[in-house]
Amino acid sequence: MRINSKTLIAIGALFSSFLAGSANAQLNVFACEPEYAALSQELAPDAKVYSATSALQDPHQVQARPSLIAKMRQADLVVCAGADLEIGWLPMLQMKASNNKVRSTDNGLFYAAEHIETLDQLENVDRSMGDVHAKGNPHLHFDPSRLLQVADALSAKMTQLDPDSATSYQANLAAFSEKWQKAIPQWEEKAAGLKGKKVIAYHSSFRYLFNWLGMEQVADLEPKPGIPPSSSHLAKLVSRSQEGDVMAILFTSYQDDRGANWLGERTDLPVIMLPMSVGGNDDSKDLFSLYDSVISLLTEVQ
Amino acid sequence: MSYSNKRLSLVAAACALVSTHAFAEDSSLTNPNISAVLDGFYQTGDRGLGGRNEGFGLGETELAISANIDDMFYGKVTAILESHDGETEIELEEAFIQTMGLPGGLGIRAGRFLSDVGYLNNQHLHTDAFVDRPGAYRAFMGGHYFDDGVRLTYVAPTDLYWTMGVEAFKGDKMRAEDEHGERDFDTVGVYSAFTKFGGDIGLSSSWQVGLSYLRNSNGQGVVEGEDEHEHDVIADDDHDHEGHTHSASYTGENTYIADFVYKWAPNGNYKYQHLTVSGEYFRVNDIFSFEEEHDHEEHDDHGEESHNDYHEGWYLSSVYQFSPNWSAGLRYGEVDTFEAHGDHLDAQKLKETELSLAWHHSHFSTVRLQYTNQKGTNFDGFEDDNIVTLQYVMTLGAHGAHQF
Repeated sequence: MRINSKTLIAIGALFSSFLAGSANAQLNVFACEPEYAALSQELAPDAKVYSATSALQDPHQVQARPSLIAKMRQADLVVCAGADLEIGWLPMLQMKASNNKVRSTDNGLFYAAEHIETLDQLENVDRSMGDVHAKGNPHLHFDPSRLLQVADALSAKMTQLDPDSATSYQANLAAFSEKWQKAIPQWEEKAAGLKGKKVIAYHSSFRYLFNWLGMEQVADLEPKPGIPPSSSHLAKLVSRSQEGDVMAILFTSYQDDRGANWLGERTDLPVIMLPMSVGGNDDSKDLFSLYDSVISLLTEVQ
Repeated sequence: MSYSNKRLSLVAAACALVSTHAFAEDSSLTNPNISAVLDGFYQTGDRGLGGRNEGFGLGETELAISANIDDMFYGKVTAILESHDGETEIELEEAFIQTMGLPGGLGIRAGRFLSDVGYLNNQHLHTDAFVDRPGAYRAFMGGHYFDDGVRLTYVAPTDLYWTMGVEAFKGDKMRAEDEHGERDFDTVGVYSAFTKFGGDIGLSSSWQVGLSYLRNSNGQGVVEGEDEHEHDVIADDDHDHEGHTHSASYTGENTYIADFVYKWAPNGNYKYQHLTVSGEYFRVNDIFSFEEEHDHEEHDDHGEESHNDYHEGWYLSSVYQFSPNWSAGLRYGEVDTFEAHGDHLDAQKLKETELSLAWHHSHFSTVRLQYTNQKGTNFDGFEDDNIVTLQYVMTLGAHGAHQF
């Protein structure tokens, strides 16, 4: 028993460092979306974090391209929203990357949506309803308390994969939680005037944000989820907009602005592009500034 | 926090019990991925090399079931139903297991599956932007080459995507014609080796290039001696290349394939517009051996000359999706092959220019209008034909992830 563990670990580490081509023991994180890259970076500042998509890319429609296969092949941890958001490309990447470390949520795979209660779960899903997710809305990163639950679980996952750095993960989580919990009431105070405001938005991208801030999405630019705005559908929205209670028309960084602008021109309502994630506009450099930016953009309209 | 911890342990426990849950959320022990693809068309003419025929018809109606078998294996079955000359044929296109748990970037696939040589071959027909596979595929791969065998792949742990693989197949479909049924064929007829590289250029562009080699020990045809040869008997249409078949029409011992694909989307956002440019080149060597019966000197001359003959084919395709609902494609391709007529080879050529326009109501439904001009030289009677096809391709069931 005495020779074993240390020698084996040393040999194993040497071997794996050859395989990985690097002697760095830090976690190699593959994030499906930039919000999870940002969260991973908060919880593991030394980790090598790669974001498969940017805030300018629709995560529903990503190509399982060679660069992503190569990155996933090297990952220790894959962090995704889950709830079927990445269903069109993640399974293909997992198949092609041949990396058994990130295949299972027992090991290096993490789905944020598995650690919270998603909104809008559906019992029955039919394609005639559009591209809906039976497991609920996956765009959960605009709910600050849900995101904190995810941070908690993600930190535990990192500790599981890299127990040697357990103390540093705990410290990072504590620091992030404290800062985040301090920020929540400030955001809520700033956004207090938004309570009860009605908006027309695109997709259910900001479902959690509206839920949190007490706003109401009264109409969707998409006739059905995943179906682009059609002229007949937009025409119907004109009459809805003219009821006089709608504050603004919202779309996000990876969505086409044409439908929103068309409606804006006919209704004289303000049209606002909200960043979908970190990097979605110049102000959104991390999760904190992303929330700041989104709330500022909304409160400026009032 | 206790809530999430509890939830976490529940999830972990669930995963331990049902590890299928871990791979893809959509498939589980009780809920495998089931999908069907419906493909129907109307066409104004016959397309060469086993392409679609004139009139109303159905393409490949595909039924597929896939799921993780356990934490180590994934399995898939794809059945193809085709209606041809009033008969419905069922064929198994895929019935394979794939390892999911091997370390070191290794993977093994066994059973019946699509070979990974070239770019298009491992993709399903319904994902194509055109009605039929390019002529080169119809000539040398039987449309797309799937077979019974085994594959070993390796993905390198590098930032530049690099994969390598070797395959061994039964190879029945790739056998040279055996008119008299007297040849002794190898039971493992086809071996292949391939490598692919790929990466991104900036935010908006991605690329992949591949090189493949396919060794077909049963692919070399035999040209018979002059004694048995009777010119007049063998007419062009004796060769059943129009007939419906999944076998390669033109074979050889060694096949080399070079392929590339380049994709562009603004900021890498594929939702609204993207461009795909792809091309492949096939060269099939050692296509015939000569069964010799005439005198030596003559044979040497003739033989050497003929051994330099090879089949060749290529295509270049460009598809632009200019809105979520519309895409247009342009493809040009050529096939140069030889046909044995008695003791000599006749050269033939087919050129195809194709223009397609597709309307996509959603990810799952496509209606396509395609114009094809095919120009043949000694090619099964094809001269200069214009063909228009109206086609639909629709997917029911599981959201199929498409390859790059």
